[in-house]
Amino acid sequence: MFRILRKSLKTGIVTGRYPESPESEAGASPTAGQKARPFRRSLTIREVDTGSCNACEMEMNALMNPIYDAERFGVHIAASPRHADALVVTGPVTVNMEKALKEAYRTTPDPKLVIALGDCACDCGMFKGSYGVTGPVERHVPVDVKVPGCPPRPAEILQVLQRLQGQRD
Amino acid sequence: MMSDVTTPVEKLRAAFGKTIVDVAILHGIPLVRVGKADVPLVAHYVHTHPELQGTLSLLWAVDHRPHEKRYELCYLFTLADPREWLLLAADLLDEDRLFPSITPHIHAAQWYEREIRDMFGLIAEGHPDLRRLVRHEHWPKGTHPLKKEFPWNTVLGRQQGQYAFRHIEGEGVFEVPVGPIHAGIIEPGHFRFSVAGEPIMQLEVRHFWKHRGVEKLFENHTLTTAVPLTERVSGDTTVGHSLAYCQAVETLLGLEVPRRARYLRSLFLELERLHNHLGDVGAICNDTAYTLAHAHGSRMKEQIMQLNDRLTGSRFLRGVNCVGGVDVDLEASRFDEVVAELDRLEKDFTELEEIIFANASLTDRLETTGFLNERTAIDHGVMGVVGRASNINRDVRRDHPFAAYDELQVKVALYRYGDVRARMRVRMDEIHESIRLIREVRARIPHGPIMAPPTRAPAPGEWALSAVEGWRGEILYFVMAGEDGAIHRCKVRDPSFVNWPAIQYAVLGNIIPDFPLINKSFNLSYAGNDL
Ligand code: SF4
Repeated sequence: MFRILRKSLKTGIVTGRYPESPESEAGASPTAGQKARPFRRSLTIREVDTGSCNACEMEMNALMNPIYDAERFGVHIAASPRHADALVVTGPVTVNMEKALKEAYRTTPDPKLVIALGDCACDCGMFKGSYGVTGPVERHVPVDVKVPGCPPRPAEILQVLQRLQGQRD
Repeated sequence: MMSDVTTPVEKLRAAFGKTIVDVAILHGIPLVRVGKADVPLVAHYVHTHPELQGTLSLLWAVDHRPHEKRYELCYLFTLADPREWLLLAADLLDEDRLFPSITPHIHAAQWYEREIRDMFGLIAEGHPDLRRLVRHEHWPKGTHPLKKEFPWNTVLGRQQGQYAFRHIEGEGVFEVPVGPIHAGIIEPGHFRFSVAGEPIMQLEVRHFWKHRGVEKLFENHTLTTAVPLTERVSGDTTVGHSLAYCQAVETLLGLEVPRRARYLRSLFLELERLHNHLGDVGAICNDTAYTLAHAHGSRMKEQIMQLNDRLTGSRFLRGVNCVGGVDVDLEASRFDEVVAELDRLEKDFTELEEIIFANASLTDRLETTGFLNERTAIDHGVMGVVGRASNINRDVRRDHPFAAYDELQVKVALYRYGDVRARMRVRMDEIHESIRLIREVRARIPHGPIMAPPTRAPAPGEWALSAVEGWRGEILYFVMAGEDGAIHRCKVRDPSFVNWPAIQYAVLGNIIPDFPLINKSFNLSYAGNDL
């Protein structure tokens, strides 16, 4: 017990200990801001990997670590698309994942947002044209926000989410 | 690797004499060519002979069209002592599409042979399970992407079809399908459990949802331009994959990588190991609902990733490796910064270890859970962290030193218990070892250039193999040159491809709620497996 307490005290508060990222070049559709209105204080995300290299996943996971702690801005991760306000999609949409992506989109309740995370999700990146890939994401479901980067840094993702939530200009 | 290569070959010659078509040695690897009908016999001999005890490390095919009308099947074995490679090869000429399966004798071949069928349309006769592996059922019949006549940018049609899962029937037995989309932020894959009450009677893994056609994409690249693609085979293993690829190409181009670059490669590889292992130790605890350890683990992981970013401009160390050496050099002051940070981190981590070990309820969840016995591990050729937790004493850094490991002397972590706890302990030990290795790197790194210019161009058809001990385990690359520096064939093998089938055994008798924990303790790549 004391060991744990000592450790916590010694570690202190680490949240926010990261270098600010440069302004993200994320592009949003004209309606994205309005669609995001209901989620200003609380945005629940379901992450859907449609064939990423898993680095984008890792950065999404990093978002929830004590350093970025996206929860402090009301960003949560849901276990099911049925509980989600937004889908964050990574990867170029493989032939094998196309159906699962559409299904996930269909089961997400309206109103909903779709965020394409990473170069792969935005335009298939290095995998463009491959027989195994049918993307990008916007070919299959409407995309509201595109976050380029390979992968985008967590600070950048956080910035985009905050902007979307109107917590930041 | 050059040492006694003739001895195993002599043994084969003595045993099989006339059936051996040809023997060659290329880049130190003995290649024994036999008729296709003799493969099972010879492979079985290599696998079981007490002085050879070859484990199947890789099995792949090459389409030699349009130059020659033949397919080549290649069986790479790693012999027991010394751990040399031995390559068996057999040709399928003209329209021949059939070859005898070795799976009935060598279990580790089962996914490889199914993969070859999907990718090349070559059928392993006598294989006990010829369901599709990579191609899901909706892929049209006759689609075999790695055949040379198949255009890389084909738009696939769709057909009807259903994967036939293995069923267990009986009173009270029911099936639980999980995936492809999972609850956490993890990659897609499908798991089908058969349970009777709580315990798992059978698990079937149905993967390849993420198949992006990586191996075909390599064939659009030249030897030197493919490095960014290798970094994206499995993003968490950016350095491991790019290094394995670069090494193979360097062999082809006859490049002698400068010592300083070799040391830097070891440094980056260990940094990659560190951030992944730190994250995993936390994540394993998290799957027992011990979030405190998870918070600390992910904090330390982030610390290393930020360090990576400061050193190289990439949190994943992208763009570090290039053919001929490395693209990033570090000044002495940078090395001091790294070592100072790791000194702090090691203290920090040791305290976390004490907290973890002092927690009896945590230990209770980890011990005996997800037990993978040594026999099963051997039969499947299980490697890396998972293997070393089941007493498989293998580590490429020690067995086939690459980068600067010939001078660094890695201490290999080894546990016998084969459970989740053992897999966590292997990671913990390796964290300390990685930190020690990085200190060594700083102490020993010589000055000099970090890049070597190419000296020769490979002839079309020339090939090279390379192995790297990534943080998950042994990564293998086979690269065959085409015309004018193009890539004729690149076979990628992430350790995940070998270890995934083994998880089907590790979960038996456990309860489904423990599956995420067991899966986390394996922590295999879906992207690297599916390619
Ligand atoms: S965008 Fe880059 S990091 Fe993200 S999945 Fe694609 S290749 Fe990986």
